[in-house]
Amino acid sequence: MNLSAFIIKRLMNMIPTLLGVMLLVFVLFNWVGGDPAYILAGKIGDPKQIANIRHQLGVDRSYWIQLWIFFKQVCTFDFGRSWSTGELVSDVLLSRVGPTLTIMVPVLILETLLATLFALWVSYVRGSLTDRVVMVICTVAMSISFLVYIIVFQWLFGYRLGWFPVQGWADGFLTNLTRYAPLPVMLAVFVSLSPSLRLYRSFVLEEMNHDYVRTARAKGISERAIMLKHVLRNAAIPILTNVGMALPGLFVGSFLLEVFFSIPGLGREVVESVNRSDFPVIKAITVYLAILTMLANLLVDVLYRWVDPRVTFK
Amino acid sequence: MTHATDSAGPWALAWRRFKQDRVALVSLCITAFFLLVMFASYAGLLARNWSAEVAPSYTAPTLQKVTPLANTHEQVGLPQTFTDPPVDISDIDPLTPHYQEWQQLTAQVAKAQAAQATHLFFGADKWGRDVLAKVIKGSEVSMTVGIVAALLSVMIGAVLGALAGYFGGVIDACMEWLYNVLTSLPSILLILAVAAVFSRGFMTIILILGLTGWTGVYRLLRAEYLQHRERTYVRAAEALGASHASRMFRHILPNVSHVLLVQFSMNVVGFIKAEVILSFLGLGVPVDMVSWGTMLAETQEELVIGKWWQLLAAGGSMAILVTAISLFADAVRDALDPKLNE
Amino acid sequence: MPSMFRVLTTLKQAIITLLLATFMGSVAHSAAPEKVLRMAFTGVETGFDPQRVDDLYSGTICTEIFEPMLEFDYLARPIKLVPLVAESIPVAESNGLIYTFRIKPGIYFADDPVFKGKRREMVAADLLYALERLVDPANRSPYSWVMENKIVGLDAQAARAAQSGHFDYDAPVSGLKIVDRYTLRITLTHPDYTFLYLFTMPVTAPVVREVIEAYASDTMAHPVGTGPFMLKDWVRRAKIVLERNPNYRGFVLDTQYADPHNEEIQRVIREVGGKRLPQLDRVEVYPIESGQPRFLSFMNGDHDVLQDVPASYLSQVLVNNQLVPRLKTHGVKLFRELSPYVGYDMFNMENPLVGGYDPQHVALRRAIAMGYNLPQQIKILLKDQGIPAHSPIAPGVIGYDPNFHSTEQEYNPARANALLDVFGYRDVDGDGYREQPNGQSLVLEYKYSSGSGRAREAADLWVKSMKTIGLRIDTRGVQFADLLRDRKAGNFMMSGAAWVADYPDAQNFLQLLYGPNTGSSNDARFKLPAYDKLYEQAIMLPDSPERNQLYREMSRLVLAYAPWHLDVNPSDTHLARPWVLGYLKHPVPAFYTRFKYLDIDVAAQQATQMNSK
Repeated sequence: MNLSAFIIKRLMNMIPTLLGVMLLVFVLFNWVGGDPAYILAGKIGDPKQIANIRHQLGVDRSYWIQLWIFFKQVCTFDFGRSWSTGELVSDVLLSRVGPTLTIMVPVLILETLLATLFALWVSYVRGSLTDRVVMVICTVAMSISFLVYIIVFQWLFGYRLGWFPVQGWADGFLTNLTRYAPLPVMLAVFVSLSPSLRLYRSFVLEEMNHDYVRTARAKGISERAIMLKHVLRNAAIPILTNVGMALPGLFVGSFLLEVFFSIPGLGREVVESVNRSDFPVIKAITVYLAILTMLANLLVDVLYRWVDPRVTFK
Repeated sequence: MTHATDSAGPWALAWRRFKQDRVALVSLCITAFFLLVMFASYAGLLARNWSAEVAPSYTAPTLQKVTPLANTHEQVGLPQTFTDPPVDISDIDPLTPHYQEWQQLTAQVAKAQAAQATHLFFGADKWGRDVLAKVIKGSEVSMTVGIVAALLSVMIGAVLGALAGYFGGVIDACMEWLYNVLTSLPSILLILAVAAVFSRGFMTIILILGLTGWTGVYRLLRAEYLQHRERTYVRAAEALGASHASRMFRHILPNVSHVLLVQFSMNVVGFIKAEVILSFLGLGVPVDMVSWGTMLAETQEELVIGKWWQLLAAGGSMAILVTAISLFADAVRDALDPKLNE
Repeated sequence: MPSMFRVLTTLKQAIITLLLATFMGSVAHSAAPEKVLRMAFTGVETGFDPQRVDDLYSGTICTEIFEPMLEFDYLARPIKLVPLVAESIPVAESNGLIYTFRIKPGIYFADDPVFKGKRREMVAADLLYALERLVDPANRSPYSWVMENKIVGLDAQAARAAQSGHFDYDAPVSGLKIVDRYTLRITLTHPDYTFLYLFTMPVTAPVVREVIEAYASDTMAHPVGTGPFMLKDWVRRAKIVLERNPNYRGFVLDTQYADPHNEEIQRVIREVGGKRLPQLDRVEVYPIESGQPRFLSFMNGDHDVLQDVPASYLSQVLVNNQLVPRLKTHGVKLFRELSPYVGYDMFNMENPLVGGYDPQHVALRRAIAMGYNLPQQIKILLKDQGIPAHSPIAPGVIGYDPNFHSTEQEYNPARANALLDVFGYRDVDGDGYREQPNGQSLVLEYKYSSGSGRAREAADLWVKSMKTIGLRIDTRGVQFADLLRDRKAGNFMMSGAAWVADYPDAQNFLQLLYGPNTGSSNDARFKLPAYDKLYEQAIMLPDSPERNQLYREMSRLVLAYAPWHLDVNPSDTHLARPWVLGYLKHPVPAFYTRFKYLDIDVAAQQATQMNSK
């Protein structure tokens, strides 16, 4: 099967998944989502007012009609306005994506680079004391909860030492990148480095077990050259696969980081919109994320097969 | 070196390799110690009175014994002075006919027991409760949640993965669809949804974690079953008349159990950590129980005012246990699959 | 690698440009020092359509952008109603049935493209439009109760709108009559002496119909008012920037009601008296819900005012209820007052276990109230910042009696235990917990909002307290929306709640226990005929000793029948940097920080910022 047929087949497969996601979100919200009318009614809400609000929001219509409206919204990518603020949902999402990416993209880049470099270095000295010590440090670092890291880092670097602002977000992209992003980015890289390092180390080691490495060594090529030229190239495949699978997560970001550092991002928006029972926003975020996830998976699969000629399209 | 005639199974061989790794043995001991403490706490031998207020609020760790302050009618809150006597409601009170009896009984009610002095090696929390006792009691919840939720997730993932990988076809397509739908949603959304269905409670956390954490196991098991169902030993079993169920669970399962074990331990670690986040979000155990997660959620406001001991106790215990389990799981995996070690 | 090098160079250039720009910017600004105030809100805002928002933060901003008819004098204590855009305070005619508002001529709205370059004056039609908006079903206003069941002809109009799906703003309503360009006469369906207070809230501020219709679904982001400030910039839930409104007429601080012996008030007069207000050029507000970053931003010097020091950090700010020396030497000013806030736990009076007006059930509620360890709540959860609430009426409001206190709900486990014994709530099966007199098991249920850390801590305290009097209690955390729904439907046994004054009159609190309000604001479903009779008498009277006596009787009934366990009146602690001038705490909540009265000593502000950076 050639490339374009593969892509088309996968795109076709996305439709039932998307429908499944829509159905799941709809069922979840109507079953377990709190009734937004009570929150919007204010302190003194009588039944007449509650009924009016529900009518205005459109939730008193039959489920089939609401589901059909949802379907049309997905096709036109127009989810209307937020129930609590009246803001256009597309505006909400667009304004939130920027801050999340400003944090997550540097995190991904830095973390991949550092993890790969460290993985190569540790594999270079595999079995030695350095290797074991680094691995144990990684394990210990991974055992501490993210929450603890946030609390301690914010207190230490923001409050005690004053190197970074404790929280906040500005308007200008550059200001954010240089002033407000560094502490959360550093924190996130620190936390995600350990698991990535362990994973990439296993990729590299697995590569180094292959026969061609033994052949190269036998031919007298230096260990460094082997690592940097051959092993890295081949280990890059699973590493990049791993990076690709992390791409959808970029957009949701980490809501913990966003809450503690007051970053107006998408992760925080998800939790807040669930608390407010703001269904239009929840719908939009879920649908967009689902599409992004599926596209990212497709991209990774295509790249994987394109890079590794041994694998054929099925 | 094993004898050529020694036909010990893969598990016995693995155990032998495992024994040689000192780090692995140490981590096994630490894990066993924590489990022991957890059972002792469950049986009521330790930390039975963890919720008793034994000291003034936020007492620092100390080697000497501490007593709670004699809590008499000390002035709390802002100073208030009144020019009138307290309001009398006896003319409208439905309880007025019983005033006399009430007063007499009040005078007879027994006085509180004498306050005991206790050691506070890890200081006291906001309410004056012994942090060490809380850590021990909290291990019960955190470890049980981790273990049971991991068990649940592994069981769900294994069954679904086995079905998908073994039968293939329509069943596999349906599973794949379900898997795609669930993994396309942001996990936080699923967590909040499951939390909303069930009321707050101990079982709820286990359900939340178990029902949202099975996808990794599913993926692996499916791949394994896809591989194994073509193997000769399975074909042979089929020829001998073994049923589907028998082939799936009596024949293939033992051969993939090492994958399950590793996944199980990874999930235990992941879920113990996830419980902290859930507690922070308010989806943790109810208020009359304590877990490492609820303790760490409290430390958020404590660090800035210089109270570091609860963070150290809960964070430290969790770090030690999780590290031990991780190292132990690594060692088990290495012992079972020696090729990776060379 | 060449591309990497280029990236680095570009980055370096960008950084240098940024530094240069900042430097130039600060040099340019030193020519005309701008007075900027920065502070944080403790919660997030919704938007700035005054008839459609009900949270404190949106209300605070709306109070600066819009102007209702009346306001409370900044300096008068006790609080005093004064006219704002009205010429004078309307006198109630026909025994409290008719109020006539006359708007001052020459009050102009801020410029907006909708006005096509012309200045738009405030007229009576704008007030009429605002009031009708409140009952328009399409607006689903949380403050519709302000105008509902009060105005002659308005409810019929609203009903017609609900039927047709469209509110006819052109149809005349007999209870809202425009007498002339600036005069509106309001006719009520029954006498109401607290009616005027509603006109101090931004909810009743006049708005321009053309503007609202032009911005249709986006009115939250386009507030056009006559107030001293306009909305300059808004990043939802992240930043609100106000700038002075050039069309605002300006004013000078009115000192006629100031107490010459009150230090604080005299200081304010010294600082901003005689100046043309508003003095601030810009106000920047950042919603920060988390306590730590909000606190640290003030301590770092990023913010000029800290409204509501988070309870956990009070020990860093206060020692022996005084400001710590470190902050004193920096000239930081401390402000504390009891807020018009009553915290309470309500019982569902229709619940078979805890509800009921007979002695047995009254005794159970009273015992529960006495068993709750309120001193610990105040000491540990509130860090001593509050007083026990002695009546349903909050401090600072008209009708509050600071000398009214009782021991009926005071923490006393001995009395609670004895009371339970007297009425037969004994432990018959020896499990350490009491059963009902008929032998059935006794399990209390307390619902709280699972998302609130505070509520969880209080629930924790309930469990511990009830154990000491032998009562089993089940605490259930539920989602906020579900909690609201359950409370409204009476689907609960006990739940914690609080009420903040909408307007500073005791009636705003007492209506929470008025029988006919069951289903709207009387969540406890308390229906005591004696109480209802007193209430109906009280709303007919103006502020007077007779009314206060009625309020006292109602409070006594609440203490006797205990539909509520009264918790606390918390005190708020605020900090302000020394260069913030004119800062004064006001007992009405939406008046937390009134920007129009403030001034900044720019030299002092910049000097300190230079030093600390």
